[in-house]
Amino acid sequence: MAASGSGGSRADNGYSSQQPRRRRGPGALATAYLVIYNVVMTAGWLVIAVGLVRAYLAKGSYHSLYYSIEKPLKFFQTGALLEEYLLIAKYLPGIVPSSVVLTAFQVMSRVFLTWAVTHSVKEVQTEDSVLLFVVAWTITEIIRYSFYTFSLLNHLPYLIKWARYTLFIVLYPMGVSGELLTIYAALPFVRQSGLYSISLPNKYNFSFDYYTFLILVMISYIPIFPQLYFHMLHQRRKVLSHTEEHKKSE
Amino acid sequence: FVSYQVEILDWKTKKQLCFLDKVEPNATIREIRLMFHKLYPRWYPARQSIKLDPKGKSLRDEEILQHLPVGTTATLYFKDLGPQIGWTTVFLIEYTGPLFIYFLFYFRMPFVYGLDERFASSPHPVVNLACICHSFHYIKRLIETVFVHRFSHGTMPLRNIVKNCLYYWGFAAWLAYYINHPLYTPPSYGKKQINFAVIMFLLCEAGNFSIHVALSDLRRNGSKTRKIPYPTKNPFTWLFFFVSCPNYTYEVGTWISFTIMTQCVPVGLFTLLCFIQMTIWAKDKHCTYLREFKDYPSLRMPIIPFLL
Repeated sequence: MAASGSGGSRADNGYSSQQPRRRRGPGALATAYLVIYNVVMTAGWLVIAVGLVRAYLAKGSYHSLYYSIEKPLKFFQTGALLEEYLLIAKYLPGIVPSSVVLTAFQVMSRVFLTWAVTHSVKEVQTEDSVLLFVVAWTITEIIRYSFYTFSLLNHLPYLIKWARYTLFIVLYPMGVSGELLTIYAALPFVRQSGLYSISLPNKYNFSFDYYTFLILVMISYIPIFPQLYFHMLHQRRKVLSHTEEHKKSE
Repeated sequence: FVSYQVEILDWKTKKQLCFLDKVEPNATIREIRLMFHKLYPRWYPARQSIKLDPKGKSLRDEEILQHLPVGTTATLYFKDLGPQIGWTTVFLIEYTGPLFIYFLFYFRMPFVYGLDERFASSPHPVVNLACICHSFHYIKRLIETVFVHRFSHGTMPLRNIVKNCLYYWGFAAWLAYYINHPLYTPPSYGKKQINFAVIMFLLCEAGNFSIHVALSDLRRNGSKTRKIPYPTKNPFTWLFFFVSCPNYTYEVGTWISFTIMTQCVPVGLFTLLCFIQMTIWAKDKHCTYLREFKDYPSLRMPIIPFLL
């Protein structure tokens, strides 16, 4: 699921201490670490973007571009888990609890798509739907991490803020479509191979059908995606109108 | 003798909802709630959150008007807590569900495992034992709800009951499905494992019951104030030396024993979730005790002696 991120619930900046409400910002050392982290993540996703473009130019078609960026994609997407852990453990300061749940949800779904679907079901790796969500995630993450980087350095260009809170309108549905189509494509192969499934009888008295599980995951998008999308739209209205007020008062 | 004036505003809109004239200084919040209820019949007292600050905590029924930090014209804020349901009712519904749902699977109702298996009984004695233990556990809980527990809050929001029932009933169905399944596999270590589990189960149930009785005795005269629970002559209560919430400790023990008895992963998962939930509750309770009582025994941990 594209767009949104840990700064979702707060009106303007990312981790910066310049908030409408007086929140204790990170100390100098923590800020340095956070800047380095966000720069590295921005660079990582730029590498993925560049990899995609180069592979496209080399091959002449957008088929099977997954293989050219498979490793950095896995690395940086899974790296977001660390970020989520830091949020939950409250090492990242001034984070509102509700956004932790939202980001946790998104990170988990992304990691699930990366490892439990695309990596595990090799036959879907050549599907165009994979490219669809990879492109959506890449653009989103580049904007998101550079947004955090600039916020921490207190020099946030309006363009980045605008991009972060506007492009999701297209990128989010794009990413979700890619994800759903990929899961759907994986279904017959999961059924055939019995991937990650266990049936009775066994000494642990447990059964699990990965095929049914994937269908349930797909169904869960129906209640969850609109909520997240409208939350982002609401955030957009809050953030971008807040900036307008600031400009007027100057 | 100065009589107070009380105005009650909506916490969000700050609109004045009512103005009470000539209120006695020693009026309790409970009486104010009753007066408010007369003006707004659909907001019965249990639904009213009355507070000094729009974003603050709800005032208790026992608070007295003149002891609050207000002038002779007091401004209070009202928030609707939504439809409420009594704790006793909640528990009765939550616990009756699993009891009967388990029976649906145990007696192999036709729609559960397919028509060939309808009403068939299991060849494994442990399956009968598991049914007895599971039923005993929930019957005990129902009895405690009616005769033993004394609740400090009268009610909880109605929407909680849907969430809670989904959880308890859903899990009961899930684990009953596997234990009573025609392809169920009995525990790997056979009779030894089962007997050990039964003994542990009975000990933990007795322990849990003892703690509930001890806690209930602390509130024998109907008071709502908190007191430190101490070990009594009953050996099961000696866990109070080491733990703030031994009832949760014993409860987790019960479910661990049930997991060992059935050797079933869904039961294990339910046990894990119970453990996590009860640890959260125990830590909360423990912190409350520490805050309220300066002489609280320092050896005690929230739920696991010396560890957690």
